Amino acid sequence: MFDNLIARAIVPVTIAVTGFVIFVCILLYSFVKSDMTAEALRNVNNCADTVVKSTRSAMMEDDQRAIQDIVSNIGTRPSVELIRIYDQEGQVQYAGEEKQGVQSETVETHIANFLQADFATKKQDQRDIDHSSGNITVSLPILNEPKCSTAACHFHADDEPVLGYFSIAVTSGALEKTLAVLRYRMMIFSVMVLFLTIGGVTALLRMNLFLPILRLTYNAEQAAQGVTEPDLPKSDHKLGKLNKDFRLLVKQRDQALEDLKALEVPDGNVDDGSDKS
Amino acid sequence: MDPTNHETEAPLPDINPLRMQVQAKIKKLELLSSTGLWILALFTALSMGALRDFDFLPPLSESIRVALGAGPPIKYINGALLIYGFSAIILILTQMASDKKPSGALGHFGYLGAFYLFYHFSEGLRENFWAVFSVGLTILGLQSYHVWNYYHEKIQEQAEILLELDKLLD
Repeated sequence: MFDNLIARAIVPVTIAVTGFVIFVCILLYSFVKSDMTAEALRNVNNCADTVVKSTRSAMMEDDQRAIQDIVSNIGTRPSVELIRIYDQEGQVQYAGEEKQGVQSETVETHIANFLQADFATKKQDQRDIDHSSGNITVSLPILNEPKCSTAACHFHADDEPVLGYFSIAVTSGALEKTLAVLRYRMMIFSVMVLFLTIGGVTALLRMNLFLPILRLTYNAEQAAQGVTEPDLPKSDHKLGKLNKDFRLLVKQRDQALEDLKALEVPDGNVDDGSDKS
Repeated sequence: MDPTNHETEAPLPDINPLRMQVQAKIKKLELLSSTGLWILALFTALSMGALRDFDFLPPLSESIRVALGAGPPIKYINGALLIYGFSAIILILTQMASDKKPSGALGHFGYLGAFYLFYHFSEGLRENFWAVFSVGLTILGLQSYHVWNYYHEKIQEQAEILLELDKLLD
């Protein structure tokens, strides 16, 4: 009975707390991962935009050597895995050093999407993140601006909305590392919360409920074996009236036994109360 | 009255039908006590399908997809899941504390299945599968524990009645 009492008190608390802490941690990790990924993509997008802006002057002057130098220099950075500039037909015009294991399929898919898309979609950047291989890929269109279409040396017509495409892939190693650290910290935090909650609840229940009940059970056993009320171990007052009433019952039983003994006649028979005189 | 005259005593009513009734009730309660586990098993099977992103099911036709419309944003589903998980756990704990007859396990299974479907249609099931699975396991685990506990007590009550009847029969 006592084992069941412990189980009934602790099992639901354990299931509820454990499950809810794990669930909230997974959900929180999902939120943080999504926010950090979005931030990383925004950063790479800004970098890509900066590169496009920095090559614009060389593009205006049709200085192909300068454009190739810019692209090659950026490509030598260890974190840059791929850098390419495509023309309007989706052909690679300039490319930097490409690291091994780069998934250029993602970039090709971006360019294919650009070529198939309508005018509104063509203007939107395309972003991709592959957590398993640790790549962030961003592709953006190089849009026609008034100073491009009016340039004397190398011009594009007004009705050409997009002049080419720029793609860059950088490693997401730093992001993955931060996410891994966050994961471990959350796991440690969850385990600590679980131990503290379940340990705290168990300690409080044991102190205020289980131990007083154990003492009362022991007293009941002793009383059943014939121990009188004064000889019963002293008990605390955590069970309140229940303990007092139990001791009162034992006391009344002791009193009844004493009365019974007093009524016993010396020859061993109980006085039936009839007047024999 | 002569206590030795057994012929004049009124015969005891036949308690065998009553015993059989109690035994049938115990069997019924035993069946009911395992319903929580059955629903938990059903949820595990559904989760195995969700883990594979329901790739074994035929894809929905374009017309049905258009009729259904775009899935809700994932952050809204996450918020709804958090509120649902918290409320469901509190609800079951309240039921347990007030010793009420357990109910709503099938409803919880339906809600969790709907969350899997919403994530599936919003293309966020891979990222959020473990969140739904852990909250589902918690809710249905608590529910099945409550079901088992509640009916186990009822079975014990009936077993005591059966014992008394057996004593009478002896």
